[in-house]
Amino acid sequence: MSATTRDHSYKVVFFYTAVTLLAVIWFAPIIMLLFTALKTSGDFAINGALAVPQSIEWSNFSEAWDTGVKNYFLNSLIITVIKVPLGVTIEAMAAFALTHMNFRWAGKVFPFILIGLIVPIQMALVPLTLLMNFLNLIDTRTGLTLLYLGFGVPFGVLVMRGFFRTIPSALIEAAKIDGCSYLRMFFQIALPLALPAVLSLCILDGVATWNEFILAQIFLRSDELRTLPLGLVNFSTQFSTEYTLLAAAVLIALAPLVLVFIFFQRYFVSGMAGAVK
Amino acid sequence: MNAGEKAPLVGAGQASPARQDWSWLLPWAFLAPALLIYVVVVVYPMAYSGYLSFFKWDGVAPTKQFVGLQNYFTLLFNDKVFWTALLNNAIWLVAALLIPTSIGLGLALLLNKGFRGSSIYRSVFYFPAILSLAVVGLIWNWIYLPDIGLINQLLGGLGLQSLQHNWLSDPNLALYAVMVAAAWNAAGLPMLLFLAGLQTINPEILEAAQVDGAGPVRRFLSITFPLLRETTLIVLAITAINSLKVYDIIYAMTYGGPANSTQVLSTWMYFLTYNYNSVGQGTAIAVILFLLTLIFAIPYIRMMGRE
Repeated sequence: MSATTRDHSYKVVFFYTAVTLLAVIWFAPIIMLLFTALKTSGDFAINGALAVPQSIEWSNFSEAWDTGVKNYFLNSLIITVIKVPLGVTIEAMAAFALTHMNFRWAGKVFPFILIGLIVPIQMALVPLTLLMNFLNLIDTRTGLTLLYLGFGVPFGVLVMRGFFRTIPSALIEAAKIDGCSYLRMFFQIALPLALPAVLSLCILDGVATWNEFILAQIFLRSDELRTLPLGLVNFSTQFSTEYTLLAAAVLIALAPLVLVFIFFQRYFVSGMAGAVK
Repeated sequence: MNAGEKAPLVGAGQASPARQDWSWLLPWAFLAPALLIYVVVVVYPMAYSGYLSFFKWDGVAPTKQFVGLQNYFTLLFNDKVFWTALLNNAIWLVAALLIPTSIGLGLALLLNKGFRGSSIYRSVFYFPAILSLAVVGLIWNWIYLPDIGLINQLLGGLGLQSLQHNWLSDPNLALYAVMVAAAWNAAGLPMLLFLAGLQTINPEILEAAQVDGAGPVRRFLSITFPLLRETTLIVLAITAINSLKVYDIIYAMTYGGPANSTQVLSTWMYFLTYNYNSVGQGTAIAVILFLLTLIFAIPYIRMMGRE
């Protein structure tokens, strides 16, 4: 009896050691980033990236923030905060029409929308440049937000449709018989029931918007309008050897993602699962 | 519905015309905002790119010259970088289908057991997946630095100086170095999807097999993996589509270099269009990229669009 328990506990210890080792290796780039950001540049030059900082140096963060990251951060924040709720609302409305409004064309319109999921953005770049030029929207947040709205439609509709399909149609039919209008059904029945899906979509879409690179790179020209991913790439060429500053800048960019990830982790899973169901 | 069916019996339906005539518009009204912006931003530009690929144009001149398929012929027969890019896309595709997906499956099997603390490990392994590829590229640029980069320092510390390289400046290594960085980011999604797939497998089946004497490898090959078939197909389709789109990380890490050795179709499209003002050839690449994507996407869209 005691032999088997001991046998078992050896296994447990071995298992945890192996998994922890794997996790540390996997996480090493982030640990390196954190250690670098907390070092003085002298400490970094002498001891390298992976050594534990000799003294905790918060000034890298404030310096990075003041030398441009603040602007990039605010730009990303403004675009994300406007794009995500607007996008999710129109995507949910579209998905509702495709699932609960006896819409005869649903079987045609849905695949048509799904095409957008696979189109490489490159396929649209040149005509979009012409269009944005024509509308005077090059190098504006409004223009970029409109592009994000358009490219977000396929994924959003896919996720919301996946969820709305699970709402029993009897529920909607009952509301219809009670004389409820579609608009009220959408806002008072479908949307509240779909709250978990809406949250998942908001988070996935928020992360995607926060991280978007290619459209921002093509359609934003001036430094004051740059979003974070674009700004950081620029920042890294400008301060190419000031690694402690750069690491702090990257960590500032990651901070909101980390917070969202910690508090809403389960929605990542349910959102992705909703997208493939 | 009932009112609509009864109306003709009552006679010509005096009460219903208004409702009957306009109700078909309602779904379209709900669809309108999303559909409108989608068509303007995605569909119309796509079609217009296809049209532009038959013209010789620098992007600014008022007139475009129709040249038929010449842009495609130029790419296929006169552009070595195009072939490098195509080959790199193919290498990337195969590597992406094999490596991050296998890592994701392995991690999912490891973490599915629900041991104490497994959710923390799950977060750690998923975390790189939420980073933007541009940022992943920046982080790995430092890891690959020749003098103070993590990898060369580790190799030096282990006494393996002979293995130290200038990873991103070596045309033979740069693409693979970028792939490693991309795999770090790309393993999270398959892990998540496989974990979700594993949840749907009834543990009793596995227990029964174990009672019947099937070992862990046998149980995986004969039960778990076949039951993950649908998840696997979805993972492979998404991976294939994403790997053809690869752009940010190459832009951030090598900018297509050294000597165009890490160009892929999407980056080469960008350089041709915006740096060399060759809009016709750029859009022709975009069309080729789209057609390649379709090969993997059509089965995927069928699967997603099924009722």
